[in-house]
Amino acid sequence: MMNYQEYWNPVLETMPLEKLKVFQFKKFKRILNWAYTHSKFHKALYDTAGLTPDDIRSFDDIKKIPKVEKSMMREIQNKDPFPYGDALCVPLEEVSTFRQTSGTTGQPVYQPDTWQDWEWWSECWSFILWAQGYRPKDRVFIPFGYNIFVAFWAGHYAAEKLGCEVVPGGVLDTQSRILKIKELNATAMMATPTYVLRMADVAKNKMGIEPSELSINKITCAGEPGASIPSTKKRMEDAWGAKVYDHSGATEIGAWSYECRNQRCGMHVNEAMFLVEIEDIDTGEIIEEAGRKGKMVITALDRVAQPCIRFDSKDVIEWDSEPCSCGRTFRLIKGGVIGRADDITKVKGVLLSPAAIEEVVRSINGLGDEFEVIVDKQGDVDRIKLKVELMPDVTKLSVENFLKDQLRLKTNLGYLIEYYDYGSLPRYEVKAKRFKDLRKKF
Amino acid sequence: MENFSNLNGVNDKILKIKQLLLELETEAKRFPALSRNAKRALASIKMLELNISDIVTFDLTDGGA
Repeated sequence: MMNYQEYWNPVLETMPLEKLKVFQFKKFKRILNWAYTHSKFHKALYDTAGLTPDDIRSFDDIKKIPKVEKSMMREIQNKDPFPYGDALCVPLEEVSTFRQTSGTTGQPVYQPDTWQDWEWWSECWSFILWAQGYRPKDRVFIPFGYNIFVAFWAGHYAAEKLGCEVVPGGVLDTQSRILKIKELNATAMMATPTYVLRMADVAKNKMGIEPSELSINKITCAGEPGASIPSTKKRMEDAWGAKVYDHSGATEIGAWSYECRNQRCGMHVNEAMFLVEIEDIDTGEIIEEAGRKGKMVITALDRVAQPCIRFDSKDVIEWDSEPCSCGRTFRLIKGGVIGRADDITKVKGVLLSPAAIEEVVRSINGLGDEFEVIVDKQGDVDRIKLKVELMPDVTKLSVENFLKDQLRLKTNLGYLIEYYDYGSLPRYEVKAKRFKDLRKKF
Repeated sequence: MENFSNLNGVNDKILKIKQLLLELETEAKRFPALSRNAKRALASIKMLELNISDIVTFDLTDGGA
């Protein structure tokens, strides 16, 4: 018998797939029509393609709608109204919040939201947190710098909506945050995987506090794929003695997927609020079947100020073949977001995903959490340099062969490995920059 | 609500609240504390519409589609 208390919306989350598809199609038509009639950018985009919303008559027609690239959003910002440009669908005075992308892949994109959009953001996060077991009894500590980046803002508001008590860990330093968690017996936390590990390291090695003896019992991660990488998830769970859950979202999209309490090593797509299509990276064909990787094209079905319709996210994902035993009909993406189409690069003719290297490094106990991957050229030949840290009292000899074998097994590539003392590689507070491809400079 | 069979009834209540808030918002343009709070409440009502009313409007309750 289904336990309906497990679901934020028991009707939508268990809706049969066929009905869900009808639901998505009707919502897609609604947001498409809204954008066409309220945004100069979207009208021009669809007019140029010779399409109007009326031409979209079936689910299969959706793929006719032109995709939106991030570079297009950057160009839009040069137009009126300042600072957002002509994809804006509401009068400027209706915009109540500004956020921007981090600019990891270029010039930041500005994101306007109305108050309704902001309610929608926290509604999306409510699906996530409820599925991960957040309840009104929880005291949730949020150790991030509340600023122009969306990060955990909506998680904060969603936790409040659920009835949790929220402790904003804003500008406190890492040690103060750990002390605050201890002082208040916080039960849950939200942070990037990099910072979850960093906090554990500081607690243990600088403060003499064993993080697993603190009261945190669940952690929600975002911003990096680590919580879906088994060895990184295990490190975090072991360090904190807590369940670690992944979720995925983006400033210009919203919070679109989440891991549930079953931890199936995959994330449910919130198919009531988003339409996810997976596209073959080379051919552009839409992939319906499980087990084939492609890049995500996504539509936020209810976001109004600056709609997100068929956005080419470049996130690489694949559908899982099995449904989740949690009872949700929202489909799973296997292993979460596997990487980004522009990160997954060819080295010596072989596709290399930085996540695969992370999985190997973090699976070896004798190595520290931090590492760096640098791809460059030696003459005409690609070279991958991997920098790792040895844990105290661990020798290079004891890990070297195993590390090389695992890397060869998981990535089909050979590496020049450099070993460093524990604590000597750079530490990151939010998102880490561990992968550098220097070949573009040659 | 136990077996979620009365979504139509729930939707009726949502629409009634929405109508009342829309009236408050328009009637009280010179009373910011009333109009702005009504507008803010309408954004929350929209979340009820996304969770419930859309299912009813799109005819996807147990008897629909």
